[in-house]
Amino acid sequence: MTVAATHTFFEDTKLNDLVTSPAMTLTEAHLSLYSGITGDVAVEPGAVAELLPLCLSIGLGWRVPQPPLAVLAFMSMDYQIVRPLRVGDTVYGTSRVVSRRTMREGGIVIEDHEIINQRGEVAQRGRFTFLVARRPA
Amino acid sequence: MLSYADMTPSGRRYFDEIEVGEEFESPGRTVTETDIVLFAGLSGDYNVLHTDAEFMKKSIFGERIAHGLLGLTIQSGLFYRTGRVFATLAFVGLKWKFKGPIKIGDTIRLRTRVASKRETSKADRGLVVVERTVVNQRDEVVQEGETELLVERRPA
Repeated sequence: MTVAATHTFFEDTKLNDLVTSPAMTLTEAHLSLYSGITGDVAVEPGAVAELLPLCLSIGLGWRVPQPPLAVLAFMSMDYQIVRPLRVGDTVYGTSRVVSRRTMREGGIVIEDHEIINQRGEVAQRGRFTFLVARRPA
Repeated sequence: MLSYADMTPSGRRYFDEIEVGEEFESPGRTVTETDIVLFAGLSGDYNVLHTDAEFMKKSIFGERIAHGLLGLTIQSGLFYRTGRVFATLAFVGLKWKFKGPIKIGDTIRLRTRVASKRETSKADRGLVVVERTVVNQRDEVVQEGETELLVERRPA
């Protein structure tokens, strides 16, 4: 499988590189659209659906100066909801490469992600494992 | 037999009524192109895996696939349709594996099993671990994992 050139390929990933995304304010519109598409709602009364900020943070990760990671497959995640988020909160994401190893088809990249609110508090955090493409020859 | 005394006024089940080993299966849901396009628009994740049909023809999948997180969030929605929802106070976390692709037109359903439950330092709530398996119309596991939920205890 080949991937278009404007990507961060496995060879381009660097251990401990911290990437910070732009921020986004969580709105009722996000909640309505999210619930409409997925059928999912907040577990915690009055909170934003817990998995919505995670979804938005992936998109925010596309708006950083670095080209997007050439993901071949999102393999697994281990994720914690640290504190609830509410409509009106403004969040941004950070990601850091904590492990990378070569595979036959590409490389496994493990990243630590955090979602941080307007007070600088970590609201959610997780560890994601991706299969990432090698730079096409 | 489940009685109304075991449930909150809204019909949700307290920690005390949840049994380790209990299993549920959700209704199915067919994942459509519309779902994927809307999810890309909402999340801002326009990865070619989900949005470029021509590119994906040449991939190992042969066509666009749903975002992993779309599958995750749809199963979370399906959990509410298993019929016996818990009196959950908080979502603590999850461990999750994306095992296989969800393609346009696939019908997925959620199977859950209560793996364990334990009391916490707070008397009004307990921790429930739910194993979840997302299967497609061929009964292939496409996603699986477990979620930790804090569930309200029956008021004394």
